[in-house]
Amino acid sequence: MSRETVLDPFDEAFHRTADRHERVWVLLCVLMLTLLMIGTMFFVVHDYGVVTRSEAYNNEQIPAETRRAFQEGAVVRTGPNAYSVYITGRLWNWAPGTIHVRQGAAITFHVTSADVLHGFEVQGTPVNLTAVPGMVGTVTHTFQRAGVFFIICNEFCGLEHQAMVGRIVVDPQEAQS
Amino acid sequence: MSAVGFADLSHDEASASVGSTWAAARRLMLAFLVTGFSALMIGASIGPLQALNYAGIDLYPFLEPALKTYYQGLTIHGVLNAYVFTFFVTAGLLVYLPAREMDVPIPLGLWGACYGTMAVGTLMLLVAMFDNSATVLWTFYPPLKGSAFFYVGMTLLAFGSVLPLPVLLVMRRRWRTLHPGMITPLVTYMSVITMLMWGVCSLGVGLELLVQLVPWSLGWIDAVNPMIARTLFWLTGHPIVYFWLMPAYVSWYGLLPRQAGGKLASDTMARITFVMLFVFSLPVGSHHQFADPGFSPIWRGILTALTMSVALPSLITAFTIGLSLEYAGRRRGGRGIFGWFTALPWGNPAVAAQVLAAITFIVGGSTGLVNGSWQLDSIVHNTTYLPGHFHLTVGSVTALTFMSLAFWMVPHLSGKALVSRRLALASVWLWFVGISLFAVGMLWSGLHGVPRRAWVSSLPAPVYDALYGNAQLPLAVVGLGGAVLWLALLCFYSLFFASLVFGAKTEEGREIGFAEVLGAYAGSAAPNRVAGALDHIWIMTWLVALATVAAYVPILWPFLQHANLSTGWRVW
Repeated sequence: MSRETVLDPFDEAFHRTADRHERVWVLLCVLMLTLLMIGTMFFVVHDYGVVTRSEAYNNEQIPAETRRAFQEGAVVRTGPNAYSVYITGRLWNWAPGTIHVRQGAAITFHVTSADVLHGFEVQGTPVNLTAVPGMVGTVTHTFQRAGVFFIICNEFCGLEHQAMVGRIVVDPQEAQS
Repeated sequence: MSAVGFADLSHDEASASVGSTWAAARRLMLAFLVTGFSALMIGASIGPLQALNYAGIDLYPFLEPALKTYYQGLTIHGVLNAYVFTFFVTAGLLVYLPAREMDVPIPLGLWGACYGTMAVGTLMLLVAMFDNSATVLWTFYPPLKGSAFFYVGMTLLAFGSVLPLPVLLVMRRRWRTLHPGMITPLVTYMSVITMLMWGVCSLGVGLELLVQLVPWSLGWIDAVNPMIARTLFWLTGHPIVYFWLMPAYVSWYGLLPRQAGGKLASDTMARITFVMLFVFSLPVGSHHQFADPGFSPIWRGILTALTMSVALPSLITAFTIGLSLEYAGRRRGGRGIFGWFTALPWGNPAVAAQVLAAITFIVGGSTGLVNGSWQLDSIVHNTTYLPGHFHLTVGSVTALTFMSLAFWMVPHLSGKALVSRRLALASVWLWFVGISLFAVGMLWSGLHGVPRRAWVSSLPAPVYDALYGNAQLPLAVVGLGGAVLWLALLCFYSLFFASLVFGAKTEEGREIGFAEVLGAYAGSAAPNRVAGALDHIWIMTWLVALATVAAYVPILWPFLQHANLSTGWRVW
């Protein structure tokens, strides 16, 4: 930069306007980000079910009946319209491979892994949870629509990763006795 | 803001051998550039295979001797593009540009050691990846267990990538003794902040490699805790995205305004941007773990808030760079609301590359706000939405900006002119079109729940259709984008290597055109008080380190209390 330059009129005017616009832009950006954050937090609190929580940190902490439930791939009724489902990810399938649940019931998924990391994704829902060996994560979701939903592994787990697919069959409410 | 030509006269050892010193520096810089771009050539050529995979076209059976599986190719693609390419170009650039700006000699021994360490690391990684003994993808999450070559190579590569920091600090100290009381020049400042950020955050993956993965792969320990490894990985893994972006920003702030025929709109905002990236990027890495069990919802909330704040510096960059381009366009006679934009020197491939990169970043940055939002992330987590997002950041902002660097650096460093300006322009536009198609297709199929990193084309057709039939159109767009990117690569690499080998001798471009700052009044050495305050880099570094520790102790604490260990699996 040469030290003799004096700002010419175009530069002078451009610079002055730029300074003003810059302040407005920064203010608008901060406002937008604040609103976004409030929005995302609101929906997290509003639909707290999909928040991933952890039940146990290692194998020693997992109670015997929970371990048995995982071995059997059990579906346990926990309330008038609430069920717990125990699912284990392993190379390369979900156990159990097909799960029947009821439309409109609150389903809590308890998910763990028997070997490497897996990703528990129920396609078409916000259910998304990392399956970690020795740990149990949970999410709760209510299926409002009857039909078949696929459980897709979305964390790379080896050669047959793409074929690690399970099914959740949501039985329609009318069919229930 | 360069102090061209004054410093050396007063400096004994530099003045005598200044010509030969720069010649050696140019050669080493060229080595960094060519090595980086060679890695990209291999890594990026594999990319379109992955795009075609999503379109349902499985070419891997035909590649059997070189690539056994999609996952092996994906590992090579990720490691070479995201680590090797970016590290080599950046470790060269962030030393060479500041040295020229400050006009101080480079400690070539240290800089050469940086190159050597990274080169040995890269060779080890190549061995491990090409013999299929470490198909663990670029995130290498345990309990997947690759060969020791992979982890030792990764350690060397990471260690080497931090060495530009001491090189920069030595040069900055020398410059300060020659210019007492003056504020660090802008390009140097941006480079130092980038390297400090990288230096602090690389401690995460450094710990993961040295304490867990290297001893584990060598058989010294039997098992590792996968959650601790994952958390340490993302401590580095999130800030690394800024280590990809910030060198591109250095070019956008420090060079682009002048290349476009104008000036930089604000020096102070550039400094504030870099400091904000430094401060906000470090404590937020665990937002990549929103879907993981094991740490409290309160922390996830705090991470969301911090993640939103890291968008601010990029939004400021959008303003400052946009304004600098508008200034250039109006200076060149552009009128009206968009006239300045069309008046930019589009015939200059370096300008076209960076402006197109900036355009893709508008989508790249905003899609990042989606993954960074806790609730929205649960819909897109680990779907193709994620690679869609980051191919518009590292895959376009960084790749296109580094291509723009190559366009002026090849003549500048080798003294050989580009063989064809048209080929350069073609490569840039094809890349822009290809990566945009690819990314839009990926983002869109992600919303249909298509998982990332999945060899879906190897599934039987009825299964593929049942799972992903809804996403047929966007997945076809992904494949199309990949095919266009192959053309872009063909154009770029014919130009790159042909120019290095056959380029006509040229003396043009020996000077580096650092951007002038608009509104820097006559004779004002210090831009202003803010810039002066931001020059206290060590106070800032300690504060950032403290904030990072404060963010990670509560996350790591529960993991440390339970020995949840896993032995290794080799299942690819």
